[in-house]
Amino acid sequence: MGPFFGQITRDMQIAWQNRQDISVMLGFFVIIIALFPMAIGPKTAILETLAIPIIWIAALLASLAGFDRLFAQDVRDGWLDQVSLSALGICWYALAKAVSHWLTSSVPLLVITPVLAMMLNIPATQLPALLVALLTGSMALTLLGVIGASLAEGARHSGALISILVLPLSMPILIFGGLAAIHVGGIVSPHLMLLGAMLALLLVITPIVAACALQVSEAESGI
Amino acid sequence: MTYSSNYKLASSSNAETDPCLQISALSVMRGQRLVIDQLNHQQPAGTLCLLTGTNGVGKSTLLRTISGRLPAESGHITCTLQRFYVGHADGLSGAITGRQNLHSWATINSQPVTPKSLKIALAGFGTLGFADMPVQLLSHGQRRRLALARLLLTRSQSLWVLDEPSAGLDKDGHEHLEKAIATHLARGGGVIAATHRPLLAAIKNPINLKLEPR
Repeated sequence: MGPFFGQITRDMQIAWQNRQDISVMLGFFVIIIALFPMAIGPKTAILETLAIPIIWIAALLASLAGFDRLFAQDVRDGWLDQVSLSALGICWYALAKAVSHWLTSSVPLLVITPVLAMMLNIPATQLPALLVALLTGSMALTLLGVIGASLAEGARHSGALISILVLPLSMPILIFGGLAAIHVGGIVSPHLMLLGAMLALLLVITPIVAACALQVSEAESGI
Repeated sequence: MTYSSNYKLASSSNAETDPCLQISALSVMRGQRLVIDQLNHQQPAGTLCLLTGTNGVGKSTLLRTISGRLPAESGHITCTLQRFYVGHADGLSGAITGRQNLHSWATINSQPVTPKSLKIALAGFGTLGFADMPVQLLSHGQRRRLALARLLLTRSQSLWVLDEPSAGLDKDGHEHLEKAIATHLARGGGVIAATHRPLLAAIKNPINLKLEPR
């Protein structure tokens, strides 16, 4: 497990040096959410039903923003060459990248969500279910994003390509995540269990798919 | 395409030892182009192979194939030692320091690393003066030194695959490189290096592998 945590530590060190990226992403998240009440106007009934979907969509868009840089920098630096020969291997590397991306982009969103939930008038009793659903859903979305980023690696305008690849696939997560978040009476709901099942599936598939995609993109591209 | 691979062994007893790197009938395609055609090569542990040839002849392609980064069209590469690759890209992240870069590299390679061994490796290429600066502030030559200093963290029984290792190095850096390679060879490691610059005059009897344009 040493190499795995070594990669995560490295990503954390790099993220710390580029910490302004995290505040930009958080600002983006807050602004999207703040824009909805402006556009809808002071109709609380509409806002109440829309509040949780708004948070989900804002979280999805904000976490997608960083995926175009997820592998690109490592490929350009030649770090991927070092990884492929190392004890870590590309499979574990992809999983480590998913973990560090989740820690640096989804965890800040989760931390700030209670404040935004207050802004959108979501009742405090609803908050635990929302947070647990977002926690599980954001992990699954990150793994999907890693698949998208590995497939789009080397392409021009990879950001838009990743969105096109990932957004349709994220629909089940959005549907069950939204349902799990509005579940009344306890945190655990059938929807949350299905969300967990998707997370478990992605956890197994993602490293393998990402490793294959990164190998192919290397063989097809130049030096 | 013809290849000349003449190698002189330091002693005849080495001839019985298994080669640390053996390439048989290797062909590599890049896009639609056959870059390497039926290449044969072998080298025992403790030897240096100098890979020469004009620009675009396939030196980098061959080294990347040996490192497992490119698939071979046909043929076999057998390598009994662990491989470490230093290519055109230095493999350093610009955001963090050279020391952090080397430390994380050692961790992902499961190489034991202590502050002391890190310091020795950094000193081995004269990088201690700038090892604690973010790599993005460093010059090309300084980054090169850090990339090469990684090799000093490896265990002795390994094959170093070096692509233009001396590119961007000054005279002092070049001397550090020659010293590092000589020590590595003496400990029974292997080196295969592509170079344009007359490299390593100090090392006796290198194997010469010249790639000819097709």
